[in-house]
Amino acid sequence: MMRFRSLRALTLAFVLAFLVATIGTGFAIHTVTQQTIERLVDRRIEAVSDEVAGTFGDRSPEELVRRINAATQERDTGDIGFLLLDTDSRRLGGNIAKLRRLPLGFSTVAVKDKIAGLSAGRALVRDVGRGMTLTTIAETEPFDDYNAARVRIYLLGFGSIVLIVIAGMLVFVVTIRRRIGEMRRTVDAIIDGDMARRVPIHPSGGEFAQQAMAFNRMLDRISELMASISNVSNDIAHDLRTPLARLKSQLALSLRRAETDAQRDDLEAAIAMSDELLEMFAAMLRIAEVEGGDRRAAFAALDLAVLADEVATMMRPVVADGDRTLILDTAGPAEIFGDRQLLGQMLVNLIENALRHTPPGTRIEIGIATTGRTAMLMVTDTGPGIPADQRKLALRRFGRLDASRHDDGHGLGLPLIQAIVRLHRGTIALEDAAPGLRVVIALPKG
Amino acid sequence: MSLNLLLVEDDAVFAQTLAEELRGLDHCVTVAVDGREALAAVDSAPFDAVVLDRMLPKVDGMAVLERLRGGNMTLPVIMLTALGRSVEKVEGLEAGADDYVVKPVAAAELSARLAAVVRGRGWTGGSADTIRAGDIVVSPTKFRAWRDGIALDLGKLEFKLLSEFVANADAVLTRAMLVERVWGYDFAPTTNIVDVYVRHLRVKLTAAGGRDPILTVRGVGYMLRG
Repeated sequence: MMRFRSLRALTLAFVLAFLVATIGTGFAIHTVTQQTIERLVDRRIEAVSDEVAGTFGDRSPEELVRRINAATQERDTGDIGFLLLDTDSRRLGGNIAKLRRLPLGFSTVAVKDKIAGLSAGRALVRDVGRGMTLTTIAETEPFDDYNAARVRIYLLGFGSIVLIVIAGMLVFVVTIRRRIGEMRRTVDAIIDGDMARRVPIHPSGGEFAQQAMAFNRMLDRISELMASISNVSNDIAHDLRTPLARLKSQLALSLRRAETDAQRDDLEAAIAMSDELLEMFAAMLRIAEVEGGDRRAAFAALDLAVLADEVATMMRPVVADGDRTLILDTAGPAEIFGDRQLLGQMLVNLIENALRHTPPGTRIEIGIATTGRTAMLMVTDTGPGIPADQRKLALRRFGRLDASRHDDGHGLGLPLIQAIVRLHRGTIALEDAAPGLRVVIALPKG
Repeated sequence: MSLNLLLVEDDAVFAQTLAEELRGLDHCVTVAVDGREALAAVDSAPFDAVVLDRMLPKVDGMAVLERLRGGNMTLPVIMLTALGRSVEKVEGLEAGADDYVVKPVAAAELSARLAAVVRGRGWTGGSADTIRAGDIVVSPTKFRAWRDGIALDLGKLEFKLLSEFVANADAVLTRAMLVERVWGYDFAPTTNIVDVYVRHLRVKLTAAGGRDPILTVRGVGYMLRG
């Protein structure tokens, strides 16, 4: 079975095959009809020729001419042409004035033979004794330009069939394309976060409508599942944060009533732990909020280079405080369309991330560049980096790497960065800066 | 600053502990457990400010706020929410809340924010040519600051930080409040950015001698002595 890579290739192949079959059929019909007519005409001129130059009776030239003249007068054979020639090809009689030399037996004559009133026909030349030859000719066309008319009919008939089929195929292809297009637009909208989008269902029903309904049912089911996941995280927020908040207030009360320094230290440590837990919930909810896509409504034009400069200026004292250096390398403006707050948070988180996972003395470099339709943001450090096989894990929620388990941080930093990048329809990649880690973020230009 | 507060919170345990903590900070606290009770309380007694939970039984927090603002009440309101979604924050502020805080909130943080909203929303800039706290003078229009007549060389963010301190002299400013007002972010950076900037500011303020005017309030934030 042949495989077609596209609807267009399939259509072209089909139309081509159909054309070949139609033209072949036309030719076959034309040829067979032609042959049948010729055979019938051959039989007729043979019979007439037999009658005129029969083996019986007198076959003198005078008698033959008389019979020819008689035959041309008769109604049945009035349309037949005769030519009687002697040994030296001189004309003895008949109703044809002049004719090229034809071979003995059957042959085909046409307009170019210049026989009065004949466009196509068959001729029979036979030896009638005494060196004389008798040529009998009859038309193969029942009326003038019969052949041309036949070709015209074929062209009209088969041509219209071919046109109808091609038009049908086009309608078919356009319809399929449109339905597939509707589905693809729905999928694109959903990828962009519009979970409420559905494939339109045409009231006419049929396979496409059924397909669309099945697709929509699947989307409904996915929506339900997503809603229940989002409910779970909202429940976590509400049902777990509230008791945690109570726990924290209870600890704060106990701290105020504490009598010894040892008790105070313990309670302060406990409060710090509950703060950490609450921070984790806040980060999870922040990721859920970003992934929801609602913030896209507030997108505005901004210059990533200017924003990076602001954040770098803001963070430089903090980085210097941690004995590391922060370098900003921008080459001209990088206009994008986005959420200023979230992109600022992303930059802060990237710098914090680099601070947290590198030793003192590390150089952290922020680079902004533009290529074609994308603005590139690169954050490179000269720290230990992340091994290639663990980079995927680093982007996963709570996917903290073994080496960093003893550090502080909740493992939600990079996933939040990834969620912000996705909200801006960008991509994020972790690369080896040899030595160190390079985070490469590509965002579409605004 | 001692305030007469109305705390509207349906979670009994949370309301009780928060009320007790606020009383420990010298405030007078009345607790209402739902929206209807809150509206009745506001009508019957004068309060300095209201702490309003967003999710309440009977009359929802947002509806209470709308009722208060609809009745031309300028009473300062701080909204409390369990969810920290930015959309809700914007909604709350647009409905007329003076501040919006995500639960759980430390009593000290809430107290500092309450003091700020009762004072009025702090330094607004432009109204006065210079603002003053003790021997520190800040000129928002000239973007310059002096201590004891000596000009200070400050970065843009350091200047904003000092202006915020001077405008709110003798009031506690929490780290979260400073991040919001000086840095303009609605998220808390996990690093000690506020502490680093305050330390730099302290160095510059005391470079020409004089005592450190910025007081660290342990576990809460900072305060500039006027």
